[in-house]
Amino acid sequence: MELFLQRLVDGLSEGSIYALLALGLVIIYRGTGHLNFAQGEMALFSAYCVYQFGEWDIPIGIAVIMGMAVGFLIGATAEVALVRPIAKKSPFAVFIVTIGLFQFLNWLDGAIWGGQQLPNTGVGSKQPRFPHLFPSADTDFVRIFGAEITIKSLGTIGLVLVITAALFLVFNRTKLGLAMRAVASNADSAKLVGIRTSTVLMVSWGMAAAIGALGGVVTAGNAQSVSQSLMFQVFIYASAAATLGGFDSPGGAVIGGLTIGVIQNLAAGYAPDWVGQEMKVGVSFLVIVAVLLFRPSGLFGTAKVERV
Amino acid sequence: MKSLFTIKSGGAASWAIRVAVAVLLGAALLWVPTRGSDSLIETFTTAFTLMAAALSLNLLLGYAGQISIGHSAFFGIGTYVTAIAVTRWGWSPFVTLPVAFALAFVIGVLVSLPALRIQGVYLALVTLALGLVFPQVIKWKKLSWLTGGAKGLNDTGFKFNKDNPTYEIFGWNPWGNLRGQNVKPFYYWVGIIIVVIVYLICRGVVKSRMGRSLVAIRDNSTAAAVMGVNLAVTKGIVFGLSAAMCAMPGSLSAIRTGTVTPDTALLTVAGSITFLVIMVVGGAGSLWGPIIGALLYQFITERTGDWTDPDKIPGLFRPFFGWAQTSPGGGIFAMSLILLMFFAPLGIVGLWRVQSRRLCKVVSKPAGTATIYKTVPASAAD
Repeated sequence: MELFLQRLVDGLSEGSIYALLALGLVIIYRGTGHLNFAQGEMALFSAYCVYQFGEWDIPIGIAVIMGMAVGFLIGATAEVALVRPIAKKSPFAVFIVTIGLFQFLNWLDGAIWGGQQLPNTGVGSKQPRFPHLFPSADTDFVRIFGAEITIKSLGTIGLVLVITAALFLVFNRTKLGLAMRAVASNADSAKLVGIRTSTVLMVSWGMAAAIGALGGVVTAGNAQSVSQSLMFQVFIYASAAATLGGFDSPGGAVIGGLTIGVIQNLAAGYAPDWVGQEMKVGVSFLVIVAVLLFRPSGLFGTAKVERV
Repeated sequence: MKSLFTIKSGGAASWAIRVAVAVLLGAALLWVPTRGSDSLIETFTTAFTLMAAALSLNLLLGYAGQISIGHSAFFGIGTYVTAIAVTRWGWSPFVTLPVAFALAFVIGVLVSLPALRIQGVYLALVTLALGLVFPQVIKWKKLSWLTGGAKGLNDTGFKFNKDNPTYEIFGWNPWGNLRGQNVKPFYYWVGIIIVVIVYLICRGVVKSRMGRSLVAIRDNSTAAAVMGVNLAVTKGIVFGLSAAMCAMPGSLSAIRTGTVTPDTALLTVAGSITFLVIMVVGGAGSLWGPIIGALLYQFITERTGDWTDPDKIPGLFRPFFGWAQTSPGGGIFAMSLILLMFFAPLGIVGLWRVQSRRLCKVVSKPAGTATIYKTVPASAAD
């Protein structure tokens, strides 16, 4: 029972990270109908920035907010400078551009910070390890029904709940949120009633990248370091989460992320020989294929009806 | 558009150009293994590997419009079929090529089954997941008795021994010394053979009824289905062929390097993206695009390989890349990928096709002047 509870909470905490990136994917998909393959790399760049701010003795709390600001800038710039002009040509061109951005950002991380894992005393890092947003020493846990639940797990889950609640308020209680929903529902009509769709899309991409940045920082915190390959698998988990929840449903993304996290952790925990750590990505792969085959719109998404 | 010269298709000038290009190409291909340095031969052989992989992706993505970021998995299937058959069962390496081809074909057809329902970026997602799963399956504990796990397999290559014959033409040996002293030209020629096979398969498919079906599916799959294209069968075959062709350079890389690990760059998603970059930069949907793209990719990657040291960067590029801690090759290709999408979505070959018309225009023969071959016997026509 203790073990189950522990694995459940660990799964939820891992799932929270996927939920953060999946939220970013969904916000962008709702706005422009594109799948942003560079989502993970945008988050990784922000995580590298947070490392750099840490080197400059900026406390982690402020560093994370600055990292999110960097993420917002990258996302907004990518939309304005790359995606918008190219979207007129073809969806395929946007796909290629996001792949190009993926490769470019990954290369940029290496070019600025070098190819090795950071922090690294060999290259003069001051920090012993990548700072976690929440207390993460070995003694930072609470006992619930005998299970040792770490503070960082609870903190990560809480973080996602807070972000989800905030997004819910933004979508439903602010003018910006109303505009975003209008653009998602019908961009042309939204333009006709005077909504600045270009600003809305720019802000959507920025918001998505900023939320993703948070996911990147927590991932790096859990791994205690950043490296160029940190986000590859996390991105696939997040895509699986968004697919499961439905690509146009933010709530679905969160539930999908948590579900994927729990399934993976339980599978890895109870079938260490068959799944273990290395075949976690196999679980995601099966989820993606199964959902797309049997319910392409996901659990909470709206089915797309196309006129021929 | 005005052009300087105008020549007739099938005329003397057109044939002269064709013959000149073929002679130059043949001379260049012969010059490399006979007069070029060992590292140049290596460069070309690697480029041939990438070429064949990018050509196979081009058939699927450039012509049929089915996005795949999982071709590294098919490449890896070729690599591992060869490696396993050679090390576990003691097969001769080159016998494994057709087996890899057949197995990858089957797996490609299986992957195409979801592709019948899944389209566009969702297919990209599924194939991306496939590309990520492949190395993990190889590392899987349950399969390590077969695949060697994360450590990989050794001695997967071709054995060059004293009994191998040498083939000399008047004392001149472009094929490499098969007795083990210099075997690089040998792999060079194997690479060329694989590229030619893949090119001919692609060309055969593209110029046939099948190729027109593919383009129809890419441009409008509903219209294609209405016009009588069998979507399921066509997609299945093109997926299978593309996967099978991609497995061949994979096999070659196992034979050539002699060791195989699941973390080799071309077997991970980085490999898939490399193939994609080569294809798009060279020119998606053209037969020569991946060939030019692969040569360019390999040469730029090797040329910029030691640019981590700012002193080695040529003066012109130093202000741009002098600060970078890693080689700028990846960045250059990422940027050119994005820029090409803006200015030349059909890649270098697409750009060439448009621009070369300014210089020289090829006019096809007027309708009705071609020689007519009677296929129906006169008696049957009555």
